[in-house]
Amino acid sequence: MIDDAKLAVLTDEELARHPFDELVAALQRTVQGLEAGNVGLEESIELYKQGLRLHAACEARLREAELTITELGRRGASPDD
Amino acid sequence: MADQRSLWDQVEPEADPEPMPAPRPAPVRATPRILRVTDLNRRVRGLLDADAVLADVWVEGEVSQPSFPGSGHCFFTLKDANSQLRAALFREELARAVVRPAHGMNVIIHGRVRAYEPQGTYQLYVDSITPAGAGDLHARYEALRAELAAAGLFDEGKRRQVPRWPRRIGVVTSPQGAVWRDIGNVLRRRYPLVQLVLSSTAVQGAAAAPAIVRALQRLYAQPGIDTIILARGGGSLEDLWGFNDERVVRAVAGSPVPIIVGVGHESDTTLADFAADLRAPTPSAAAELATPDGTQLPTILNRLRDRASAALLARADQRRRFLDTEGRALARLAPDIGAARQRTSDLLDRGWRAVGDRLERRRLLLEASGDGLRTLSPLATLERGYAVARTGDGRILRDPTAVAAGDALQVVVARGTVDARVERTRAGGTEDLLS
Repeated sequence: MIDDAKLAVLTDEELARHPFDELVAALQRTVQGLEAGNVGLEESIELYKQGLRLHAACEARLREAELTITELGRRGASPDD
Repeated sequence: MADQRSLWDQVEPEADPEPMPAPRPAPVRATPRILRVTDLNRRVRGLLDADAVLADVWVEGEVSQPSFPGSGHCFFTLKDANSQLRAALFREELARAVVRPAHGMNVIIHGRVRAYEPQGTYQLYVDSITPAGAGDLHARYEALRAELAAAGLFDEGKRRQVPRWPRRIGVVTSPQGAVWRDIGNVLRRRYPLVQLVLSSTAVQGAAAAPAIVRALQRLYAQPGIDTIILARGGGSLEDLWGFNDERVVRAVAGSPVPIIVGVGHESDTTLADFAADLRAPTPSAAAELATPDGTQLPTILNRLRDRASAALLARADQRRRFLDTEGRALARLAPDIGAARQRTSDLLDRGWRAVGDRLERRRLLLEASGDGLRTLSPLATLERGYAVARTGDGRILRDPTAVAAGDALQVVVARGTVDARVERTRAGGTEDLLS
């Protein structure tokens, strides 16, 4: 879970270390915060910038995603082996 | 027996039998026809192959002296109290078999009977072997299903939601064959962000059930697994029997994380399916159910970004409207300089006018006062005809008794003085003066 309060000070590298779903969730919260409209214009602009960063981080993650596969011990392997 | 088995070890599955020689009427001969051994055995084989019952037969008996040579096949004798029959269970069928033949085991076998020409024997070629005594597989399946359902293993209420955004998915299946490949392909296409952890297992044969349980437990011991997929391709009830094994069903029900079971085809439902949090019709469907549709993600992300943009614009617009309103309110509240100037000017005018008026009044008053003063002056009185009489010592005479006849008086009138003498005095009579 990304701490929203710290989101603004996270570098792009630090963002990239968070799981994809956390980035999406943070993006959703950011958008909802913007839509709630109970923040000032200045803060809205900051939220918007933050949303753009999160969006870019998510897109980059999707672009570079590659299925990783690990295999546990083979003791139960198929008899066809 | 030992000799037979050693010979049997060399037995391989046979190719399709040669077509049976067309039966023809025995020619009438004087001398008996002499057959070669090979011809005789072939004739017997043709007779057996032509028998519809022997080609598709169910038989029950007791397994005796099974052997498992290095070829991977299994050979045994099937017997009952009075008779025995040789049986061959080839490697492929053995792998699919629900039970591994054991000496003394009562079994029901399906297969066909054929002759083995090189030895002049016939035997039962087994394609399915199941334990006898417990009823057929369907009956056992239903009985176990009822028992496990009663034990609460299939309760709908205990089904958990599969995490929408899994990070690590554990897969229990055989790494051979299409199932594992299909799962990988689906996830690569759909959600390649996920980490796949394979816990491989046998998925058919008598050894499958304990192997599946071990593979599941290996995954249960792994940290950070969000979802587990237990998968196997389609097959017969016997093929899928491992997924109806009570140990497997209980292991599935005991999964610490949501587990999806995708076994066989749409129509295959194993008891493991009932114990799962989510049942998938096929292994590929299990992979799909375990992950969000990544192909939709760019759209979802862009929609979020657009919502952010719209919200910001709305915020800015709202702020502008607010400022406009505030500006108008401020304008309303601001002093009207022109009007104030006008008012000031008016006030000044009025002030000046007031001062002017007052001065004028003062002047008029002063003028009036001057007239009054003049009215009060004794000279004016004298002018009107009055006179002032002073006695010899200069006092103003007001009382006739203050003088006597013969006293000198000085009478002052408006334009001069008259020296006079008193003739006589008389009190009163001033009323006449005013009349």
